Amino acid sequence: MALMREIEWEPCLLEPRRDEALDRRARATLGRRAGALGYFAGLPWLANVAMDFQSCLMTRVHLDHDLADLVSLAVSQENSCRYCFAVTRMFLILLGYPPRRIAQLEQQLVTSEFSDRERAALDFARRLSRSNPLLEPSAREPLARAGFAEPAIRELTGLVGVNVFYNRLSTLPALPPETMEALPERWRTRLLRPLLGRVMRRYRFHGVPVPLTAAQRQGPFAGVVAGFDGLQIGAMLHAALEAAWASPVLPARTKALMFAVVARALGCTRTEAEARRLARVAGVGDGDAEQALAHLDSPGLDALERLVLPFARETVWYQPAAIQRRARELRETIGVERFLEVVGIAALANAVCRLGFVAVER
Amino acid sequence: MNVPLTLLAGTTTALGVLAVSCWRLRVQARVLRRRLEQSAQDLQQLQMAFSRFAPDEVIERVIADGVEARGEKREVTVLFADLVGFTALGETLDPSVLVRVLNGYFARMSTAISLHRGHVSKFIGDGILALFGALAPNPWQADDAVHAGLAMVAALEDYNRELAAEGLPTLALGVGIHRGAVVAGLVGSRDLMEFTVVGATVNLAARVQSLTRDHDGRILVTAAVSAALDPRFRLRPLGEVGVKGVREPVRVVAVDGFALP
Repeated sequence: MALMREIEWEPCLLEPRRDEALDRRARATLGRRAGALGYFAGLPWLANVAMDFQSCLMTRVHLDHDLADLVSLAVSQENSCRYCFAVTRMFLILLGYPPRRIAQLEQQLVTSEFSDRERAALDFARRLSRSNPLLEPSAREPLARAGFAEPAIRELTGLVGVNVFYNRLSTLPALPPETMEALPERWRTRLLRPLLGRVMRRYRFHGVPVPLTAAQRQGPFAGVVAGFDGLQIGAMLHAALEAAWASPVLPARTKALMFAVVARALGCTRTEAEARRLARVAGVGDGDAEQALAHLDSPGLDALERLVLPFARETVWYQPAAIQRRARELRETIGVERFLEVVGIAALANAVCRLGFVAVER
Repeated sequence: MNVPLTLLAGTTTALGVLAVSCWRLRVQARVLRRRLEQSAQDLQQLQMAFSRFAPDEVIERVIADGVEARGEKREVTVLFADLVGFTALGETLDPSVLVRVLNGYFARMSTAISLHRGHVSKFIGDGILALFGALAPNPWQADDAVHAGLAMVAALEDYNRELAAEGLPTLALGVGIHRGAVVAGLVGSRDLMEFTVVGATVNLAARVQSLTRDHDGRILVTAAVSAALDPRFRLRPLGEVGVKGVREPVRVVAVDGFALP
């Protein structure tokens, strides 16, 4: 854990809020209180999406839970997300996972004790999460050789995408990792570990394939959503995108342009084309969109867009402390509610570009 | 009676020896594990440090396959900066002062470059070779490189004020920027290797930089760069200029600033 703890991390940019409705929903969905989701209570759609994605992480259809947890840990490390890494590490320790294997994963040991299957999945997860460059379809081959069938590859892709979303959601507002980092070493946690582990295992679900409905096959980035037909994440991604687009906090055109900027940075032509279509629907002319994407500015942009488009670009690859300082400046300028929506949209855009690995041509 | 006693004593001794051996082995295993963990941590830190100089994919390939001669074609923007008249200045300054002045210059220039998402590939004497879009794809690399050039000029102005206050001579900078295809990879000998780029694009950036000595403009860019620039940059075309080593004349443009909204 020493290495992740060495990552420079700014003080948190958000105040957590107790929200009765959020707590009720969290109890029904996750079986516990909202906890850290309270940081996003100021923007209900984002808190709900974060909660849905959390339940998505707890449900596996084709992959086993231990591998899924290892992938979450690896993606958090790849994105230098101290908060997500600390949370996943704590869960793994409580579930009885050997700390030595966690340390091996953190140190990315080539000679570590992972099986070929685990290694193939972890390597794919790291590369997809990094997307530098964006993965080619041939990236499936090592996974297929290691015994992953196509539905399992799609589930793995979904898992990486959800973790990429969480990494941005936690890193950009600098959610405080210290408590989570220290928790596994506290004597009370160690004492209660067997009990806590048993309770937590009850919240790891085995799901069944559920096909998307006709309505879920429509809407923003429908091609990406369709790639997850039969998996829980398909329906949740659809709901998340619908909720994000319906939110009145930022104009639809601003959100579409943010998606397009993230897609342009990653070289994800499919997502960029869809984002530009959405921008056109929201009234952005092709010339303005092209100039905005070419230079992150255009005479047709408003003052808010001039601030958030360069920020969206920064959310693709970053040093945590540097992006958190930029995020602080942005929050001071545009206010907490709009800042929350910028964070949510940037996190979704980064996830959608990675999830596009299994998108269906439409 | 003596036989069981001897047997008991022998067994006890053997068990004792076994216990001590086991304990020793355990201690040795613990020490070895600690060393292994330390080495792994050192390796990880090295890997993190290397990622500032080469793309993650290259580092992973080096770790997995060893150092191999393999290059990749990439579209990058190359910025070449050089101090004008520094060689003559070097002859007049005390060596320790010269090194201090130069290090101060390099530190400021490196900050300006990395703030605009470039990375310093190497220092060549008092020259700097910086790359944009080499470590990660960057569709805004031309804008970034020219912003970095302007930031370098501004940083040097600040530094010159500090030098003047100390009674030291001030520095003058020339920047040349060109964009094009390069071959990126690990280049060097078995003893000294680095991730860098080679090709005509690098040479042309250096040649364009040298034009700053004879033309009015501290930042000169080629048409390949100016065509990709944000319209808010204040550009001044200097026409076609013959460049050493290049058959066709090169269209050169001076960058005078950036109009903030």
